[in-house]
Amino acid sequence: MSARDRARRALDRLVEASATERALISLASLVLAIAVGTVLILVAGRMTTCEQAAFVLTHPRPFGLPQVFAMGFCYDPVAVFDRLFLGALGDPLRAGWDPLNSQFAVTLRETTVLVFTGLSVALAFRAGIFNIGTQGQLVVGALATAMAVLWAAPLVSGVLGTLLLVPLGILVGALFGGFYGAIPGALKAYADANEVITTIMLNFVATGVVLYLVSGILKDPESAANQTVPLPDYAQFPPVLFGEQFGFSLLALAFGLVAIVAVYFLLEQTTFGYDLRTSGHQPAAAAYGGVDAERTIVASMTLSGALGGIGGAIYVLMILGNFQTGVPAYGFDGITVAILAGNNPLGVGFAAFLFGVLKSGTTAVQFATDVPPQLVGVLRGLIILFVAMPEFFRLIGRYLQPPERNRAVATDGGHGSADGREGSP
Amino acid sequence: MSRSQASALAGLGRRGLAVVGAVGLVAVLVVLGVAFPRSIAGDLVQIMFAKGTLASALRLSVPIALAALGGIFAEKSGVINIGLEGLLIISAFAAIYAMDLSNNLWIAFGGGVLASTLLAGLFAVVCIEFRADQIIAGLAVWLIALGLAPFASQVVYNAPNSDSVRTPPTLPDLAGGIPVVGDVQAALGDLPFLGALFSASVTVYLMFLMVLASWYVLNRTQFGRWIRASGENPKALDTAGVNVSRVRYAAVLLSGVLSGMGGASLSLSLGQFTGNGPTMVNGKGFIAIVAYLFGNYNPIGAFLSTMLFAGLDALQIALQLRDVGVPNQLVRITPFVMVIVVLALVGRTRLPSAAGEHYESGED
Repeated sequence: MSARDRARRALDRLVEASATERALISLASLVLAIAVGTVLILVAGRMTTCEQAAFVLTHPRPFGLPQVFAMGFCYDPVAVFDRLFLGALGDPLRAGWDPLNSQFAVTLRETTVLVFTGLSVALAFRAGIFNIGTQGQLVVGALATAMAVLWAAPLVSGVLGTLLLVPLGILVGALFGGFYGAIPGALKAYADANEVITTIMLNFVATGVVLYLVSGILKDPESAANQTVPLPDYAQFPPVLFGEQFGFSLLALAFGLVAIVAVYFLLEQTTFGYDLRTSGHQPAAAAYGGVDAERTIVASMTLSGALGGIGGAIYVLMILGNFQTGVPAYGFDGITVAILAGNNPLGVGFAAFLFGVLKSGTTAVQFATDVPPQLVGVLRGLIILFVAMPEFFRLIGRYLQPPERNRAVATDGGHGSADGREGSP
Repeated sequence: MSRSQASALAGLGRRGLAVVGAVGLVAVLVVLGVAFPRSIAGDLVQIMFAKGTLASALRLSVPIALAALGGIFAEKSGVINIGLEGLLIISAFAAIYAMDLSNNLWIAFGGGVLASTLLAGLFAVVCIEFRADQIIAGLAVWLIALGLAPFASQVVYNAPNSDSVRTPPTLPDLAGGIPVVGDVQAALGDLPFLGALFSASVTVYLMFLMVLASWYVLNRTQFGRWIRASGENPKALDTAGVNVSRVRYAAVLLSGVLSGMGGASLSLSLGQFTGNGPTMVNGKGFIAIVAYLFGNYNPIGAFLSTMLFAGLDALQIALQLRDVGVPNQLVRITPFVMVIVVLALVGRTRLPSAAGEHYESGED
């Protein structure tokens, strides 16, 4: 059995679980990650020093009994998760909540980019390919978008400019991202180079080349930072309902939702999608059915890269308004989004929103507490780890369930595709 | 059987081709450099055979080689550990923190190794006990460490970069005071190119020691045979009455110990942990994976291919200091490009047959 077959079989195990079970596992992983995060916050709160404890752990004192035990912590986990989740939505529980508030705008704007990186990773996963390079594809797409739009901007203006420049930017982002994704695809298909390593290496290459370009010939001469000159306003996503200063456009989010549906349709309803899924799921059957394995790999990686590149285009055209080095880790969050969504495009929407909340909540946490913002990075890793071990939750489930139901679960839940969608031809 | 042998031969052929190609390229460069000492080739050859370049190549290979050795043990036993990068990151921070608290080099190394081994232990439980997908769990290990180390640094030092601590001694530091040994060391250390071998940091000698020890353990001991069997034919090992899971646990924990040494060496030899962006580890764990694939799972082969990558890295650092007309940001990516080229040339490596697969003993 070849390495690729084995990797695919491993992926199958993730796909195999039924949709409900997968959703439950994702939820349980999230809860467990938050629990571990709470412990981490408490431990970190003991390691650092502060003038006054933000959180005190003590026992209840009924009838005025004396306090015998109390432990102070510098960080308050309740406040952290309150800010992380409620803060990200702009305090929906408070009276007079305005859904158009700035923090919620940030949440939705992060969600929009994450929809594309999540789709990028998920699509490759479904083809049996680990695309860790969405980050690099996004960076390349973002810079290409900025350059193309800057070049074309003087030719048009006004509403017509927006109508032409935004689609142009997205197209260029998709093209360059797709090309950058096709490289590891071709290396995998024709030279058997492991895509996990090549995509990670290409992330480093993208960062280096982009830094070279943006600190050199493409640099805004008037700025001290490594960035291009700003795009004119008419070359960016126009804000709808939300204020212009938030860097969010409902149009972009709507475009993200269209992309979700489009990828879902592509995967589930088209011949190409069928070929892609079978070569990810049952490569032998796909080959027998006449699927060109090499071409499918390159095509899947190109599409995956294009989605990452569109993410970069959105980042430039909606959030930044130019290109700067130091792009946030949208690509790596995309891995978590895809894994959390069970690589289902429809699930990507929910998972992206959850991560939009986490990313936007991070700034709220930073504002309200002293807890380091890197916490969300840890949560990201923990969530992936927990989602990767469904067996753990099944074990707990079996342990918690009464013995009679236990047997029923063992007979029908153990193996086989419960949702039947992935049946062999 | 014959087919797998044939493909192994084909793989060896491509690997041999890659090695011959690399050696040929260097030879052409040397000839050009000697013939035209004032050209870029001349500059390159001069840098290549400078003592400083060998010294920094040795220093740079320590974390990569140690992580690669760890990766060999894990993968030979059937567990693909793609989280080596994470193990390096976590141990790099833990070693600095332990050094800061204790000011004792042994405790600092121990702290790094402990942190890395704990994380490897978590990975082992998740993969072996809960049958997680090894690639995804390995990615999780990387991402957890990538968040956790800067988080901890922020908590302790109020910044993603730690305070500076004392660095480990070099061989001249240790030998300097001793009458005869000191003189011998000084004489050897003054040798033109190879002198770098005799005046390096102690971490470099730790690496040499571990390369030889790993080769010995893998090829000459009972435990090494168990590890190889656990990756190639777990069923046979099980039949022989050896607990496959236990062998795999041991191998993955060992990869944690070795990576821990690597991470601790990396940060301690610089005296600081830097946690911005991809942290100071900056892909070394992934380069380590390519190094042992290129080295065909042989500790000595892995060390030699590490020297290739680290040598290239040393070369690019030296090139950055001289102005050769190529911008630094581009020179800096050469090791990463080299990894991709090597991987494309080597192509599919013959993994241990059962690598990546969960093994279930038939007993229960």
